[in-house]
Amino acid sequence: MRSILVYLSITLCIVLYLTVVGIPYLITLMLPAETCAHYMRILTLYMGKAVIYMALRPFARVEYTDSAAGEKAPGIYICNHRAATDAFLMAAFGIEAIQIVNGWPMKLPFFGFNARKCGYLDSTQTPLESYPQIVRKLLDKGVCIIAFPEGTRSGARQMNPFHSGIFKLAMDLKIPIYPCCIAGNERFPDRAFKFHKTERILVKRLPSIDPETYANMPSAFVLKKKVRSLIEEETSKMDAELAP
Amino acid sequence: MTRETLISLINQVFVDKFELDPADLTPEKRIFEDLELDSLDVVDLITGLQHTFGIPLRDNKELLQIRTLANIYDLFEKLVQEHPELEEKLAKKP
Repeated sequence: MRSILVYLSITLCIVLYLTVVGIPYLITLMLPAETCAHYMRILTLYMGKAVIYMALRPFARVEYTDSAAGEKAPGIYICNHRAATDAFLMAAFGIEAIQIVNGWPMKLPFFGFNARKCGYLDSTQTPLESYPQIVRKLLDKGVCIIAFPEGTRSGARQMNPFHSGIFKLAMDLKIPIYPCCIAGNERFPDRAFKFHKTERILVKRLPSIDPETYANMPSAFVLKKKVRSLIEEETSKMDAELAP
Repeated sequence: MTRETLISLINQVFVDKFELDPADLTPEKRIFEDLELDSLDVVDLITGLQHTFGIPLRDNKELLQIRTLANIYDLFEKLVQEHPELEEKLAKKP
Protein backbone atom coordinates (compact mmCIF):
# COMPACT_ATOMS: atom_id res chain seq x y z
CA MET A 1 0.00 0.00 0.00
CA ARG A 2 2.81 2.40 0.95
CA SER A 3 4.53 1.81 -2.38
CA ILE A 4 1.35 2.58 -4.32
CA LEU A 5 0.93 5.81 -2.38
CA VAL A 6 4.54 6.87 -2.93
CA TYR A 7 4.38 6.19 -6.66
CA LEU A 8 1.05 8.00 -6.84
CA SER A 9 2.46 10.97 -4.95
CA ILE A 10 5.51 11.19 -7.22
CA THR A 11 3.37 10.90 -10.36
CA LEU A 12 0.94 13.54 -9.14
CA CYS A 13 3.77 15.88 -8.20
CA ILE A 14 5.39 15.54 -11.61
CA VAL A 15 2.09 16.05 -13.42
CA LEU A 16 1.43 19.17 -11.36
CA TYR A 17 4.97 20.42 -11.94
CA LEU A 18 4.66 19.89 -15.68
CA THR A 19 1.33 21.67 -15.67
CA VAL A 20 2.97 24.69 -14.07
CA VAL A 21 6.08 24.67 -16.27
CA GLY A 22 4.38 23.12 -19.30
CA ILE A 23 4.86 26.04 -21.66
CA PRO A 24 8.55 26.73 -20.77
CA TYR A 25 9.13 22.95 -20.95
CA LEU A 26 7.72 22.72 -24.47
CA ILE A 27 9.60 25.83 -25.60
CA THR A 28 12.82 24.37 -24.14
CA LEU A 29 12.37 21.23 -26.22
CA MET A 30 12.34 23.35 -29.38
CA LEU A 31 15.65 25.09 -28.60
CA PRO A 32 19.02 24.04 -30.09
CA ALA A 33 20.40 20.93 -28.34
CA GLU A 34 22.91 22.63 -26.01
CA THR A 35 20.56 25.42 -24.92
CA CYS A 36 17.79 22.86 -24.52
CA ALA A 37 20.07 20.72 -22.33
CA HIS A 38 20.88 23.72 -20.10
CA TYR A 39 17.24 24.66 -19.51
CA MET A 40 16.20 21.02 -19.17
CA ARG A 41 18.80 20.60 -16.41
CA ILE A 42 17.32 23.59 -14.58
CA LEU A 43 13.76 22.28 -15.03
CA THR A 44 14.85 18.83 -13.90
CA LEU A 45 16.60 20.29 -10.85
CA TYR A 46 13.37 21.95 -9.69
CA MET A 47 11.34 18.87 -10.58
CA GLY A 48 13.70 16.88 -8.37
CA LYS A 49 13.26 19.40 -5.56
CA ALA A 50 9.48 19.16 -5.91
CA VAL A 51 9.68 15.36 -5.71
CA ILE A 52 11.95 15.17 -2.66
CA TYR A 53 10.50 18.06 -0.68
CA MET A 54 6.83 17.67 -1.65
CA ALA A 55 5.98 14.26 -3.10
CA LEU A 56 8.11 12.29 -0.65
CA ARG A 57 7.40 14.57 2.32
CA PRO A 58 4.38 12.64 3.66
CA PHE A 59 6.53 9.48 3.75
CA ALA A 60 10.07 10.61 4.53
CA ARG A 61 11.72 13.90 5.39
CA VAL A 62 14.78 14.73 3.30
CA GLU A 63 17.42 16.73 5.19
CA TYR A 64 20.37 18.24 3.37
CA THR A 65 23.60 19.33 5.03
CA ASP A 66 26.34 21.13 3.14
CA SER A 67 29.72 20.71 4.81
CA ALA A 68 31.31 22.43 1.83
CA ALA A 69 29.32 25.63 2.15
CA GLY A 70 30.75 28.36 -0.03
CA GLU A 71 32.51 25.94 -2.37
CA LYS A 72 31.06 26.71 -5.76
CA ALA A 73 33.64 25.36 -8.21
CA PRO A 74 32.09 22.87 -10.61
CA GLY A 75 33.34 19.40 -9.97
CA ILE A 76 32.54 15.73 -9.77
CA TYR A 77 30.04 14.72 -7.12
CA ILE A 78 30.79 11.19 -5.96
CA CYS A 79 27.86 9.58 -4.16
CA ASN A 80 27.16 6.29 -2.47
CA HIS A 81 24.23 4.52 -4.10
CA ARG A 82 21.67 2.67 -2.03
CA ALA A 83 18.39 3.16 -3.84
CA ALA A 84 16.68 4.42 -6.98
CA THR A 85 15.55 7.59 -5.16
CA ASP A 86 19.20 8.75 -5.19
CA ALA A 87 18.61 10.17 -8.66
CA PHE A 88 15.96 12.54 -7.22
CA LEU A 89 17.95 13.27 -4.07
CA MET A 90 20.67 14.87 -6.18
CA ALA A 91 18.34 17.87 -6.47
CA ALA A 92 19.15 18.63 -2.82
CA PHE A 93 22.57 19.92 -3.95
CA GLY A 94 20.85 22.68 -5.92
CA ILE A 95 23.35 22.59 -8.76
CA GLU A 96 23.11 22.32 -12.50
CA ALA A 97 24.42 18.84 -13.15
CA ILE A 98 24.33 15.78 -15.30
CA GLN A 99 24.37 12.25 -13.92
CA ILE A 100 26.33 9.32 -15.25
CA VAL A 101 23.78 6.53 -15.31
CA ASN A 102 23.86 2.83 -15.87
CA GLY A 103 21.81 2.16 -19.01
CA TRP A 104 18.35 1.27 -17.75
CA PRO A 105 17.26 4.68 -16.36
CA MET A 106 17.77 6.11 -19.86
CA LYS A 107 15.14 3.69 -21.14
CA LEU A 108 12.44 4.71 -18.65
CA PRO A 109 9.43 6.50 -20.09
CA PHE A 110 9.55 10.26 -19.44
CA PHE A 111 12.57 10.08 -17.05
CA GLY A 112 14.73 8.54 -19.77
CA PHE A 113 13.58 11.16 -22.26
CA ASN A 114 14.33 13.92 -19.74
CA ALA A 115 17.74 12.42 -18.94
CA ARG A 116 18.68 12.31 -22.62
CA LYS A 117 17.57 15.90 -23.14
CA CYS A 118 19.62 16.97 -20.10
CA GLY A 119 22.70 15.34 -21.59
CA TYR A 120 23.05 12.63 -18.95
CA LEU A 121 25.74 10.12 -19.84
CA ASP A 122 24.82 6.46 -20.29
CA SER A 123 27.88 4.57 -19.07
CA THR A 124 26.89 1.54 -21.17
CA GLN A 125 26.78 3.54 -24.40
CA THR A 126 29.30 6.35 -24.04
CA PRO A 127 32.76 5.39 -25.36
CA LEU A 128 35.37 5.70 -22.62
CA GLU A 129 37.66 7.86 -24.75
CA SER A 130 34.94 10.48 -25.28
CA TYR A 131 34.48 11.25 -21.56
CA PRO A 132 37.35 13.74 -21.13
CA GLN A 133 36.09 16.00 -23.91
CA ILE A 134 32.42 15.81 -22.84
CA VAL A 135 33.20 16.36 -19.16
CA ARG A 136 35.64 19.22 -19.80
CA LYS A 137 33.06 20.98 -21.95
CA LEU A 138 30.35 20.60 -19.29
CA LEU A 139 32.59 21.82 -16.47
CA ASP A 140 33.63 24.85 -18.51
CA LYS A 141 29.95 25.75 -18.69
CA GLY A 142 29.63 25.36 -14.92
CA VAL A 143 27.79 22.03 -15.12
CA CYS A 144 28.74 19.49 -12.46
CA ILE A 145 29.02 15.75 -12.94
CA ILE A 146 27.30 13.34 -10.58
CA ALA A 147 28.60 9.78 -10.46
CA PHE A 148 27.77 6.68 -8.47
CA PRO A 149 31.02 4.70 -8.71
CA GLU A 150 29.48 1.62 -7.10
CA GLY A 151 27.80 1.17 -10.49
CA THR A 152 24.59 -0.19 -9.06
CA ARG A 153 22.31 0.24 -6.04
CA SER A 154 23.50 -1.58 -2.94
CA GLY A 155 20.00 -1.80 -1.43
CA ALA A 156 21.65 -1.89 1.98
CA ARG A 157 23.76 0.17 4.31
CA GLN A 158 27.02 -1.30 3.12
CA MET A 159 28.79 0.15 0.13
CA ASN A 160 29.91 -1.87 -2.86
CA PRO A 161 33.46 -1.45 -4.20
CA PHE A 162 34.02 1.61 -6.35
CA HIS A 163 35.02 1.56 -10.01
CA SER A 164 38.09 3.66 -10.83
CA GLY A 165 36.98 5.25 -14.12
CA ILE A 166 35.56 8.50 -12.75
CA PHE A 167 38.60 8.98 -10.50
CA LYS A 168 40.98 8.48 -13.42
CA LEU A 169 38.99 11.09 -15.31
CA ALA A 170 39.18 13.51 -12.36
CA MET A 171 42.94 13.01 -12.14
CA ASP A 172 43.48 13.45 -15.88
CA LEU A 173 41.39 16.63 -16.01
CA LYS A 174 42.37 17.92 -12.54
CA ILE A 175 38.80 18.34 -11.33
CA PRO A 176 37.69 18.92 -7.72
CA ILE A 177 35.83 15.99 -6.20
CA TYR A 178 32.93 16.42 -3.80
CA PRO A 179 32.33 13.26 -1.76
CA CYS A 180 28.59 13.02 -1.04
CA CYS A 181 26.71 10.81 1.36
CA ILE A 182 23.17 9.53 1.37
CA ALA A 183 21.68 7.59 4.27
CA GLY A 184 18.25 6.40 5.27
CA ASN A 185 16.88 5.45 1.86
CA GLU A 186 18.34 1.94 1.58
CA ARG A 187 14.80 0.52 1.53
CA PHE A 188 13.14 3.54 -0.01
CA PRO A 189 12.70 1.80 -2.38
CA ASP A 190 14.44 -1.56 -2.01
CA ARG A 191 15.99 -3.32 -4.98
CA ALA A 192 12.55 -4.66 -5.94
CA PHE A 193 11.27 -1.04 -6.06
CA LYS A 194 9.07 -1.49 -2.98
CA PHE A 195 8.95 1.47 -0.58
CA HIS A 196 9.35 0.65 3.13
CA LYS A 197 8.71 2.80 6.17
CA THR A 198 11.41 5.48 6.35
CA GLU A 199 11.26 8.60 8.47
CA ARG A 200 14.31 10.57 7.47
CA ILE A 201 16.71 10.57 4.56
CA LEU A 202 19.97 12.42 5.03
CA VAL A 203 22.00 13.90 2.20
CA LYS A 204 25.36 15.50 2.84
CA ARG A 205 28.02 17.16 0.69
CA LEU A 206 31.50 16.90 2.17
CA PRO A 207 34.31 19.41 1.56
CA SER A 208 35.91 19.05 -1.83
CA ILE A 209 39.13 17.23 -2.54
CA ASP A 210 41.17 19.57 -4.71
CA PRO A 211 43.38 18.38 -7.57
CA GLU A 212 46.40 19.70 -5.61
CA THR A 213 45.52 17.30 -2.80
CA TYR A 214 45.47 14.23 -4.99
CA ALA A 215 48.10 15.30 -7.55
CA ASN A 216 50.76 13.14 -5.92
CA MET A 217 48.64 10.03 -5.57
CA PRO A 218 50.18 7.20 -7.60
CA SER A 219 46.92 6.01 -9.18
CA ALA A 220 43.16 6.48 -9.48
CA PHE A 221 42.84 3.43 -7.23
CA VAL A 222 44.35 5.33 -4.30
CA LEU A 223 42.05 8.30 -4.90
CA LYS A 224 38.96 6.09 -5.11
CA LYS A 225 39.94 4.34 -1.86
CA LYS A 226 40.34 7.68 -0.12
CA VAL A 227 36.99 9.00 -1.36
CA ARG A 228 35.25 5.73 -0.55
CA SER A 229 36.63 5.69 2.97
CA LEU A 230 35.52 9.32 3.54
CA ILE A 231 32.00 8.47 2.38
CA GLU A 232 31.92 5.22 4.34
CA GLU A 233 33.02 6.96 7.53
CA GLU A 234 30.42 9.72 7.16
CA THR A 235 27.52 7.43 6.15
CA SER A 236 28.25 5.26 9.22
CA LYS A 237 27.77 8.35 11.40
CA MET A 238 24.62 9.27 9.50
CA ASP A 239 23.25 5.73 9.87
CA ALA A 240 23.94 5.86 13.59
CA GLU A 241 22.06 9.15 13.78
CA LEU A 242 19.09 7.61 11.97
CA ALA A 243 18.76 4.36 13.85
CA PRO A 244 20.10 3.31 17.21
CA MET B 1 66.16 -15.32 -9.13
CA THR B 2 64.28 -16.93 -6.28
CA ARG B 3 60.51 -16.97 -6.19
CA GLU B 4 60.69 -14.92 -2.97
CA THR B 5 62.59 -12.12 -4.75
CA LEU B 6 60.11 -12.19 -7.58
CA ILE B 7 57.17 -12.02 -5.18
CA SER B 8 58.77 -9.16 -3.35
CA LEU B 9 59.27 -7.20 -6.61
CA ILE B 10 55.68 -7.81 -7.71
CA ASN B 11 54.27 -6.93 -4.31
CA GLN B 12 56.26 -3.72 -4.33
CA VAL B 13 54.41 -2.71 -7.52
CA PHE B 14 51.11 -3.18 -5.66
CA VAL B 15 52.39 -1.14 -2.74
CA ASP B 16 53.75 1.67 -4.93
CA LYS B 17 50.82 1.89 -7.31
CA PHE B 18 47.90 1.14 -5.02
CA GLU B 19 49.28 1.82 -1.53
CA LEU B 20 48.07 -1.60 -0.40
CA ASP B 21 49.21 -3.01 2.90
CA PRO B 22 51.98 -5.57 2.18
CA ALA B 23 50.37 -7.85 4.79
CA ASP B 24 47.30 -8.10 2.54
CA LEU B 25 49.33 -9.35 -0.40
CA THR B 26 49.04 -13.08 0.01
CA PRO B 27 49.09 -15.47 -2.97
CA GLU B 28 45.46 -16.57 -2.68
CA LYS B 29 44.13 -12.98 -2.87
CA ARG B 30 41.88 -12.40 -5.87
CA ILE B 31 42.81 -9.27 -7.80
CA PHE B 32 39.29 -8.04 -8.44
CA GLU B 33 37.24 -9.33 -5.53
CA ASP B 34 39.71 -9.15 -2.64
CA LEU B 35 42.03 -6.33 -3.65
CA GLU B 36 39.18 -4.42 -5.34
CA LEU B 37 41.06 -3.55 -8.50
CA ASP B 38 39.04 -3.05 -11.67
CA SER B 39 39.98 -3.18 -15.33
CA LEU B 40 41.37 0.37 -15.31
CA ASP B 41 43.48 -0.39 -12.25
CA VAL B 42 44.84 -3.42 -14.07
CA VAL B 43 46.15 -1.06 -16.76
CA ASP B 44 48.08 0.78 -14.01
CA LEU B 45 49.25 -2.56 -12.65
CA ILE B 46 50.54 -3.65 -16.05
CA THR B 47 52.34 -0.32 -16.47
CA GLY B 48 53.97 -0.80 -13.08
CA LEU B 49 55.00 -4.39 -13.82
CA GLN B 50 56.38 -3.40 -17.23
CA HIS B 51 58.40 -0.65 -15.58
CA THR B 52 59.78 -2.98 -12.91
CA PHE B 53 60.58 -5.95 -15.13
CA GLY B 54 61.22 -4.18 -18.44
CA ILE B 55 59.10 -6.73 -20.30
CA PRO B 56 56.44 -5.55 -22.75
CA LEU B 57 53.16 -7.00 -21.45
CA ARG B 58 50.55 -5.24 -23.55
CA ASP B 59 50.10 -8.17 -25.93
CA ASN B 60 50.56 -10.90 -23.37
CA LYS B 61 47.45 -13.10 -23.66
CA GLU B 62 48.21 -14.95 -20.41
CA LEU B 63 47.54 -11.74 -18.48
CA LEU B 64 43.88 -12.15 -19.36
CA GLN B 65 43.76 -15.38 -17.34
CA ILE B 66 45.07 -13.80 -14.16
CA ARG B 67 42.70 -13.97 -11.22
CA THR B 68 44.91 -14.16 -8.12
CA LEU B 69 48.26 -12.85 -6.97
CA ALA B 70 49.61 -16.41 -7.26
CA ASN B 71 48.70 -16.35 -10.97
CA ILE B 72 50.85 -13.22 -11.39
CA TYR B 73 53.77 -14.76 -9.49
CA ASP B 74 53.55 -17.89 -11.71
CA LEU B 75 53.36 -15.87 -14.90
CA PHE B 76 56.39 -13.78 -14.00
CA GLU B 77 58.34 -16.81 -12.89
CA LYS B 78 57.75 -18.20 -16.37
CA LEU B 79 58.59 -14.89 -18.06
CA VAL B 80 61.84 -14.58 -16.14
CA GLN B 81 62.80 -18.10 -17.21
CA GLU B 82 62.03 -17.18 -20.83
CA HIS B 83 64.10 -13.96 -20.54
CA PRO B 84 67.30 -14.96 -18.70
CA GLU B 85 68.78 -11.49 -19.30
CA LEU B 86 66.20 -10.14 -16.87
CA GLU B 87 67.91 -11.70 -13.88
CA GLU B 88 70.99 -9.58 -14.46
CA LYS B 89 68.95 -6.44 -15.15
CA LEU B 90 66.84 -6.88 -12.03
CA ALA B 91 69.87 -7.66 -9.90
CA LYS B 92 71.23 -4.20 -10.75
CA LYS B 93 68.03 -2.52 -9.47
CA PRO B 94 68.33 -0.92 -6.04
